[in-house]
Amino acid sequence: MNAVLFIQLALNGLSFGALLFLVASGFTLIFGLMRISNLAHGGFYVAGAYVAVVTVATTQSFWLGLLAGALAAAAIGLVVELGLLRRVRNKEMPEVLVTVGVLFVITDLVFALFGGDAKSVGTTGGVPSGALVIGTFAYPQYRLFVIGITIVIAVALFILQNKTRLGAVVRAGVDDREITAAMGIDIDKVFTGVFVFGALLAGAAGAIGAGLFSLTPYAGTEILLYALVVVIIGGLGSIGGAAVGAILIGLIDAFAKAFIPELSYFTIFAPMALVLVLRPQGLFGRVA
Amino acid sequence: MNSLKGTLMDEKTLAPRTGLRGRPLLVRLIVIFVLLAAALALPYITTGYYVSLGSLIAASAILAASVNMLAGDGGLVSLGHAGIAAAAGYGLAWSAKEGFELWAQLLVALGLTLLVSALFGLVSMRTRGVFFLMVTLAAGMICYGIAFRWSAVTGGDNGLSGIRRPEAIAPYWTFYFAVLVIFIIATLALYMISRSPFGLVLRGIRDSESRMRSLGYPIAAYKFSAMMLSGFFAGVAGVLLVWHAEFVSPTLGDFIASAMALIMVVLGGLGTVSGPLVGAAIVILIQQVLSTHFDRWSTVLGALFIASVIFAPKGLVGGFHSLVGWIRGRLTGKPAAPHIPKEPKSEG
Repeated sequence: MNAVLFIQLALNGLSFGALLFLVASGFTLIFGLMRISNLAHGGFYVAGAYVAVVTVATTQSFWLGLLAGALAAAAIGLVVELGLLRRVRNKEMPEVLVTVGVLFVITDLVFALFGGDAKSVGTTGGVPSGALVIGTFAYPQYRLFVIGITIVIAVALFILQNKTRLGAVVRAGVDDREITAAMGIDIDKVFTGVFVFGALLAGAAGAIGAGLFSLTPYAGTEILLYALVVVIIGGLGSIGGAAVGAILIGLIDAFAKAFIPELSYFTIFAPMALVLVLRPQGLFGRVA
Repeated sequence: MNSLKGTLMDEKTLAPRTGLRGRPLLVRLIVIFVLLAAALALPYITTGYYVSLGSLIAASAILAASVNMLAGDGGLVSLGHAGIAAAAGYGLAWSAKEGFELWAQLLVALGLTLLVSALFGLVSMRTRGVFFLMVTLAAGMICYGIAFRWSAVTGGDNGLSGIRRPEAIAPYWTFYFAVLVIFIIATLALYMISRSPFGLVLRGIRDSESRMRSLGYPIAAYKFSAMMLSGFFAGVAGVLLVWHAEFVSPTLGDFIASAMALIMVVLGGLGTVSGPLVGAAIVILIQQVLSTHFDRWSTVLGALFIASVIFAPKGLVGGFHSLVGWIRGRLTGKPAAPHIPKEPKSEG
């Protein structure tokens, strides 16, 4: 294998891993605080992606598309949280079953509104496109941009969670909701806020991912699978774990797709199985 | 195994069931007899379309029942069982394409079913609750992914077509009777498993894993065995579904198919004997009949499912039993039997 191909595959893996981190971090944040395995996350992703595609097509601006996609997903998240999840609060199984239903409905409505044909977004308006060429090495600039914007978002998430009062409240809620509530913090508002924020991240990921892959109504369930594997490997509730898991799975997937395409799904299953057998709580997870 | 009964006393005091409890035996038998008669009469009173629909409902109900066994007794809600059914279906379809004899086709299907069930079991046996659901979801999606990507063997997105049923069950109505008989045998077998010491231990694990562990039960081994048993029935359903369609494609094992099986179980009534059949009938009728008039049947089904989870957590069968109990309570002046939550508890 020559060096150029190796670097290209590694960058493919890192850019896909970056997208996975955006999806998985919101998922794991919601799980860490609310103990909800939010399968509707895939629905938020695909809704954000389609809204972004339509917005970019009309305004020719990537950034407006990103904003619209993220806000649309956040709005759906708000409705799901206030209208449905509040009714089954603290009941583990009903919560996750409701999110399964929501994923079902969102996927079908996206299909109804936008059709089943694969769409892709022209990455026009304010983001790098075209290829970066250095000698014999050529690489799409958009993928490098995805890695860059994800690093910015990841750093912002880290600062938000570790250096701000808001982050302290969320971390306190993760550690002990009852005591946090007893300290006079309206934990219900924190729940809603984190859920909507997670949905916002999923919608943004959808808008960004729409430029990486062609988009179908089932893109949400597909990315959800990868995000699940990422958080199972990284440890549910850990954002650091999500980052490590996302990079790992992104790289494994990129190299497997290049060399053993038939088994490329199995290659992400193997590390998941290994982690589950040896360390069921995940690499960075705490024992429940 | 026999010593379990002695140590755990009467199972009714430990694990009350919402099933058919408290109804006179005669009423129960009459209901079963009437339903059976109706099912047997179906091919003589309706057209091929509805008989074929009946086969599909019964085959889907077997898949739902396999999910129900894990979810009802073990508290282990699987969102990946369609992956196991697809493994069986592809095993059958591939070996039929290769020109294998019927017994060899079934052997390949069985082998693949057990292999995939064992993989499901290995990755899920140390998990519970939401974790179990997520792990089985991921495992099921990977089965779908392999069916989709490994096109040299599976035909990829196009699937494998031109699979013929064996001679004896080639006509739609003999196939219907065959599926019906297999459904009844599967339901009885699952009922017996649920009533056996093994089922009792599963319910014990559902209610308190730590207590069962301190009593000396190997929790992971029990979960693994339960997955193997449940996977076997999912495989049976997979074979019947492929024979029904005479075609197999990756959608047999996709997320939607796994979610459908779970929706059937929840709509019908988690942990009830007749729940899977009731749920399968509702889902298949919505899917097949409503879809001819209305494109968004999937949204209707999803909304119905959400409403059922929020407002009728015991499903239609469970809700019906509560209603009967309430009416009887009003008539006899006694209060209705207290509702016992069947939902798995999470431990600290």
